[in-house]
Amino acid sequence: MTPILEFHNISRSFKKDVPVLNGVSFSMTEGEVVGLLGRNGAGKTTLIRIAMGMLFPHTGTVRVFGLSPTDEPVAVKKRIGYVAEEQVLPVGSSIAELIALHRYLFPSWDPALERQLLDRFGFAGTAAKIRHLSKGQARQVALICAVCHRPELLILDEPAGGLDPAARREFLETSIQLLNREGTAILFSSHHMNDVERLGGRVVLLDDGKVRLDRQLDQIHEDHCVAMIPRSAVPASDAIESLPGCLRARPVFEDWHAVFQGTPEAVRRRLQESLGLQDVRCVSVPLEELFVELVGSKRLEEVS
Amino acid sequence: MQLLINPSDELPIYRQIMRQITEAIAGGRLKSGDKLTSHRELSEHLVIAPLTVKKAYDELEALGYIETQRGRGTFVCATLPETDRADQAEQIRQSARRLLSQAYLAGLGFQEVVKVLEEADRELTEGPPALQHPASKTQETQ
Repeated sequence: MTPILEFHNISRSFKKDVPVLNGVSFSMTEGEVVGLLGRNGAGKTTLIRIAMGMLFPHTGTVRVFGLSPTDEPVAVKKRIGYVAEEQVLPVGSSIAELIALHRYLFPSWDPALERQLLDRFGFAGTAAKIRHLSKGQARQVALICAVCHRPELLILDEPAGGLDPAARREFLETSIQLLNREGTAILFSSHHMNDVERLGGRVVLLDDGKVRLDRQLDQIHEDHCVAMIPRSAVPASDAIESLPGCLRARPVFEDWHAVFQGTPEAVRRRLQESLGLQDVRCVSVPLEELFVELVGSKRLEEVS
Repeated sequence: MQLLINPSDELPIYRQIMRQITEAIAGGRLKSGDKLTSHRELSEHLVIAPLTVKKAYDELEALGYIETQRGRGTFVCATLPETDRADQAEQIRQSARRLLSQAYLAGLGFQEVVKVLEEADRELTEGPPALQHPASKTQETQ
């Protein structure tokens, strides 16, 4: 089966010799949900813009439905829905005008879905101009424009950014319904780990221009843990990071916090066998903590 | 029955669902032949991915607690999986010893442990306390 989205060895920099992306590869299959995570500036938006054909990669190839998004933009965009982080909707148009434009552009536009979503988001009418909408409402209009042609792939760049919890939840509810009813594949970037948990699927974590982690969410929960190793016992993080299964170690006060692939029991045993450490504390942690341990600062901050 | 999930828990959401359904069966709140909410409904109700619900149901089905009847839905099995009683009894004795030693080390007396057990029994048979107050239906921390 052809992947619906495929990044192969993508690199891109905006300043010479400072790559934002440095050899990123992963792919998505039909109906799959992938959460794209990473710190601010990790290259999530850059990668998404490359998939949309809005940016050229400096090396590597991107294929959407097996096509190049820059060579065949129309064929690709017909089958994609996209909501950008800072959606720029024309502020002078009304909701109705904007929807009419999209209905005209996309032959597969579904008026029933459009009515249902307008209803669900509580728009009484569509005469309001975009400039008079709240941030949450504007995002909802952007979502309507992105999904009513029933795309096979929905790309959401920080869909919840700047939204209040209620608006975020409504946005999420709509995404879940689309998953249920249409089986739409979704690639979304987010800093809200609870939203990532709710949408489920797979997590791709970008860090330092590369994919640091690419696994199913459930496997991340059940097969990763954080070991707390006293720094007095192991002087340098290299000794820990060179152990099989160790993804990263960073200093946190008196300890190294090391992320390992494996269950807490297995990792505790491994540390005893390899470094002779007795009874190291190994714990399963929520996704948010794991994220911090994987991409958080490696410097020990001295606060005096 | 009402399910609660907490996305920021370290336990994956599908396991949270599995645990609550198993507890409801153990406590008699779900009986043989009872129909479970459909994947789709539960997914939209809890606002979680449909595949997460499917995974929880698939695992419970593999364990022999529930069964899917084509076109009709998912039901609690008429006969729950047989377990080796003698083997289970030994495990339960061990758990009891662990529970008591933990309680005694924490300074709880035997009667207090009995109280804790009675509370746990009420939760299993009548549902967690949060579920008895409609006003506090969700306990999710954002």
